[in-house]
Amino acid sequence: MTPSKPSRSRRMAALAAMAVLVLTACGTATPSTAGSAFNEASGPNPSGQQTQPSLPPAEPSRPPAEFPLKGTTPTQPMAAPPPVSLQVAGTSIDMAVIPVGVAPGGAMEIPETFYQAGWYRFGSAPGATEGTAVLAGHIDTTSDQAPFSQLKSLPAGTLITVGREGAPALNYRVVSVTLMAKDAFDGDALFRRTGPHELKVVTCGGRWLDERMDYSDNVIVTAVLE
Amino acid sequence: MRSRILTAGAGASAAALAAAIVLAVPAQAAEGDAHLSVLHGVPGLTVDVWVNGARTLDDFTPGTLAGPLALPPGAYDLAITASDAADASAPVIGPVTVTLAANGNYTAVANLDAAGKPTANFFTNDVSRIDAGKGKLTVRHTAAAPAVDVLAGGTAVVTNLANPNEQTLTLDPGTISAAVAATGTTAPVIGPADVTVAEGTHTIVYAWGSLADKNLQLAVQTIEGLHSAPGSVPGALDGSSGGVPTGQMVLGGGLAAATLLLIVVGLGKVRTSAARKP
Repeated sequence: MTPSKPSRSRRMAALAAMAVLVLTACGTATPSTAGSAFNEASGPNPSGQQTQPSLPPAEPSRPPAEFPLKGTTPTQPMAAPPPVSLQVAGTSIDMAVIPVGVAPGGAMEIPETFYQAGWYRFGSAPGATEGTAVLAGHIDTTSDQAPFSQLKSLPAGTLITVGREGAPALNYRVVSVTLMAKDAFDGDALFRRTGPHELKVVTCGGRWLDERMDYSDNVIVTAVLE
Repeated sequence: MRSRILTAGAGASAAALAAAIVLAVPAQAAEGDAHLSVLHGVPGLTVDVWVNGARTLDDFTPGTLAGPLALPPGAYDLAITASDAADASAPVIGPVTVTLAANGNYTAVANLDAAGKPTANFFTNDVSRIDAGKGKLTVRHTAAAPAVDVLAGGTAVVTNLANPNEQTLTLDPGTISAAVAATGTTAPVIGPADVTVAEGTHTIVYAWGSLADKNLQLAVQTIEGLHSAPGSVPGALDGSSGGVPTGQMVLGGGLAAATLLLIVVGLGKVRTSAARKP
């Protein structure tokens, strides 16, 4: 910036630009332009994937040709204890975790600030018997203040502690840090609800792509219970 | 009439029994298998259910859901008899022939028709994937009652649903206070009852029983595992911290930020010049 403009205008401009960025430039997979952040249906929206119906998970093995019987009165499911905090040893990551869902365009919701992580509440919870518990947060391009910028360099074995509401905290150990290209985003793998339980801590990484207003990749930390 | 059925039934039974034994061999669900559930929705009647002449459900009681049973695709004869029947030759409902397609998911319901006569209905369950963050709710009218509305929290979400029809809604997950009322009215004939619509799950609610006998109730079937994953994890929040060069933020923020920047700069100029005027 040239110093020719009054400094107050510059500050206001910077504030305004930030405000817009907070609202719109959260790096949705589809490049979003002015004011239409979540209005358009995003490309990888899963509504087109109606090819193979996925069947209910693993039927219990029973004598053949015998129907398992169930009651049909309305019941309320038991909710697993939700995660409320995330700490990563050797980093400044020590933040609150809030439950999040799906944004209108089909992306996972991410808390507005990078001092909070979101837990995908429709998937498995930390401590579940199967499936992945996905925690995700924002990374910041140019500042060292975003705690999640430290995820990409976590060594294997790093301790991750997840606090839970009304249940003991859980200790996980990092087993891998990988990059997944956003072009080839495999949501079924990241958000799987069956198979061995793992914790996935996710943010953005790789290269910043100006034309997409987004990073090239997701950084995915995989950890398992101690 | 009865003897004709008996003759036909006896002939079919032997062959069907053999078929049933054959299909009973694979204990594991195979690729392409159809899934069949059976719901008993006839009040006050304990029955046996026969598939291809083989007794498959013994002493099946009202309000019970059986299944899903994995079956190779094909045609099956279903018959419902009194619970002490020696064979399927004298059914109280059926026999009906149903065709199960590969990977299909079905619920056969023994229920009362609108006039109160025992009958069977065969529903195809939608097991397509559900958008991430949503759940599906289907309501099926299988009761001896006129057309109904289904109220969620007092508001009609399904209207004029008649036996044996169904209606499906895609909803945000949550617990619904559901009630069933004669169509056009709001006084519940069933409920209100809490019905949970879970994400990625197809919840199927049956209204069954008889209005005249005052035993209308709800039966709930759930088909899980239909969820989709979110389409992306947008973890970038560039430029939101303090001390970032403005120029870089404009690059990052694109047109919207640039436009607003110009507007604000412009406003600033106007204000500045306005301030200078006096």
